Amino acid sequence: MTLAPFVILLFAAFVGYAINLRAAQAIRADGVRLHSLESFHGLFSLLMVIVPVLTLVLIWLAVEGAVIDALLMASLPAGVLDGLGSGAIQLIGAEIRSIAGGRVFGTPDDWKLEAAERLIGYRQASSWLLIVVVTGVSAGIVYFARGRVASGFRARQRVERITLGLMIFCAVVAIFTTVGIVAALTYETFRFFQMVPVTEFLFGLNWEPQIPIREDQIAAEGAFGAVPVFLGTIVIATVALVVAVPVGLMTAIYLNEFAPHAFRKTVKPVLEILAGVPTVVYGFFAILVVAPALRQFGASVGLDVSGNTALAAGGVMGIMLIPFISSFADDALSAVPQSLRDGALALGATRGEMMLNVLFPAAIPGIVGGVLLAVSRAIGETMIVVMAAGLMARMTINPLDSVTAVTVQIVTLLIGDTAFDNPKTLAAFALGMMLFIATLVINIFALRIVRKYREIYD
Amino acid sequence: MYDAPHKDKDVTQNDIKISARDVQVFYGDTQAIKDVDVEIDDKTVTAFIGPSGCGKSTFLRCLNRMNDTIDICRIEGKISIDGEDIYDPSIDPVQLRAKVGMVFQKPNPFPKSIYENVAYGPKIHGMARNKAELDEIVENALKRAALWNEAKDRLDSPGTGLSGGQQQRLCIARAVATEPEVLLMDEPCSALDPIATAQVEELIDELRQTYSVVIVTHSMQQAARVSQKTAFFHLGNLVEFGDTEQIFTNPKDERTESYITGRIG
Ligand SMILES: Nc1ncnc2c1ncn2[C@@H]1O[C@H](COP(=O)(O)OP(=O)(O)OP(=O)(O)O)[C@@H](O)[C@H]1O
Ligand SMILES: [Mg+2]
Repeated sequence: MTLAPFVILLFAAFVGYAINLRAAQAIRADGVRLHSLESFHGLFSLLMVIVPVLTLVLIWLAVEGAVIDALLMASLPAGVLDGLGSGAIQLIGAEIRSIAGGRVFGTPDDWKLEAAERLIGYRQASSWLLIVVVTGVSAGIVYFARGRVASGFRARQRVERITLGLMIFCAVVAIFTTVGIVAALTYETFRFFQMVPVTEFLFGLNWEPQIPIREDQIAAEGAFGAVPVFLGTIVIATVALVVAVPVGLMTAIYLNEFAPHAFRKTVKPVLEILAGVPTVVYGFFAILVVAPALRQFGASVGLDVSGNTALAAGGVMGIMLIPFISSFADDALSAVPQSLRDGALALGATRGEMMLNVLFPAAIPGIVGGVLLAVSRAIGETMIVVMAAGLMARMTINPLDSVTAVTVQIVTLLIGDTAFDNPKTLAAFALGMMLFIATLVINIFALRIVRKYREIYD
Repeated sequence: MYDAPHKDKDVTQNDIKISARDVQVFYGDTQAIKDVDVEIDDKTVTAFIGPSGCGKSTFLRCLNRMNDTIDICRIEGKISIDGEDIYDPSIDPVQLRAKVGMVFQKPNPFPKSIYENVAYGPKIHGMARNKAELDEIVENALKRAALWNEAKDRLDSPGTGLSGGQQQRLCIARAVATEPEVLLMDEPCSALDPIATAQVEELIDELRQTYSVVIVTHSMQQAARVSQKTAFFHLGNLVEFGDTEQIFTNPKDERTESYITGRIG
């Protein structure tokens, strides 16, 4: 039933296309010169139908539920809802809906059964009404579009205008979604800071986000000092970069300058596959392979290594970032013009000297940009650290200790039954906000560097 | 059409610096150079002329083994400098390139300061024992490339910030600073205005005192002005090679004559 309006709409669009195409062809057959090709007249009708009617259908479907609910509640017998809280009223609504869906539990009151009947009626009426409206409007538009077909009608430009509008719409949707997310984040963060002072969050050294569950429960007041959490992220990200940057750069340099052509041709795609491995798989790797190995190694040299080390999480994250950095560095090195390589070689430089003294400095802005983007990926990475890093926030920079990360805390704070009115859950938003700001700043920085570098060579 | 070469320092019989025998160059399956035999004298400017695509650059790049960097390029025959076969396995191409400098058609300064650009070659070859010596080498090279006056106050600014003509002279200074014995120049003036061209030509003439210079050019006038010997290439063949004066006034091959009078090219 919900499909019907879409089918009608598409059918109308194609009919409109065909009618306009024919009409335009007929004009042309009479020997008149058309401003636009026949297909543009057809497309004009097609788009004129699809764009507004599709919008109409989507809006209809979006508000239908709310309108029907309101009607239903208003139609309930007087008095049954008296004295009930909003939660209880919602429950009644849900019960009626499930009765209407055929799932009857126990013996519901008669008025509920009646309401369920009515609900089914409303839904059917709405569907039929939508079909009628869609058919009518589509037919009207097809008729209107047919009326526009004329030798001088600029269908070509019109089609482009409509398409342009669609593109703008899509771009705006993307932007507004982002703005919306940021706004929600900001709002919740603001609420958090009403309960916990900003200074405690930013400079506090103690992170124990527990709160009393019952009013009378005697529990420690939660402590929301985010410093140890951020420190954990920094330690893990540092380990990751210490692994990824040298290995990634060496890989890029080797592939770019020294590797035989055939080797390069096979290794580059393999690296790209590595970049596509889901991070959860890296997480497995970290807990199943790297962490036990580290523990064993630690035991053999007499070190007590905890099960969830920053080293394991960061090391595996570093492996994940290698292809990222190497592909960025490879692009940057490839963008250095051949003439510079020739220039260095012709002066009697070896390939290594050429790489070190000429190519690398020339490519450094691009490489730095890539590394910065890797940094922001490292601090935003969630899955690996959730699996491989610890949960306890500690003030330590020892990579063999168990540390936690910002993303891990966000996940744990929001797991389970949550109500968004206490500092524990709201703290997640504050952490998210900080993370967002950090990655935003780094990304802006990185993109500026990359762009500046592009200006030099083309 | 024909300007007299520098008569005052006229062609004297010099030692042979480079000798090429039976050189064939292939890019994959296509042959770019066929059976080229040529002898390039020391302390002489030799010009390579010929229509576009005839293989001048290819042959020039054989002389300092720059073609090694092109995977598909294959060279046969024998090229020797000072009697030593440069394609012999015992020869280190890196050392060879220090001895045979090259200036490219398009200026290609490194994205470093002017000073660092010129000092790069001397540095990697350990030609200066201290900063003062390096300064002197840089200054001399820039002077010889007629860039000193323009550059002396901005030695620390980037070489890429110079004008096209200045950049080309910087590249010449860079090549000269390593004190090569042979200088290969591939259309060094194609990006230059007449004034800079004249300066470069003057420099070439001066370099002739110490080096053997090979210059590729599309300008007949330039070939006639700066060179003592001229080689005319056509479709990968060395058609004619001889004294510049003879080539321009009395070419033996009719293809040479057609080319220098503008009928083919
Ligand atoms: N890297 C390369 N790969 C394949 N073929 C090449 C390569 N370089 C040059 N060639 C071919 O070799 C031939 C000679 O080229 P070369 O660059 O030596 O000509 P040229 O005489 O220098 O021309 P121009 O005066 O235009 O610079 C041309 O047919 C060219 O297509
Ligand atoms: Mg050339």
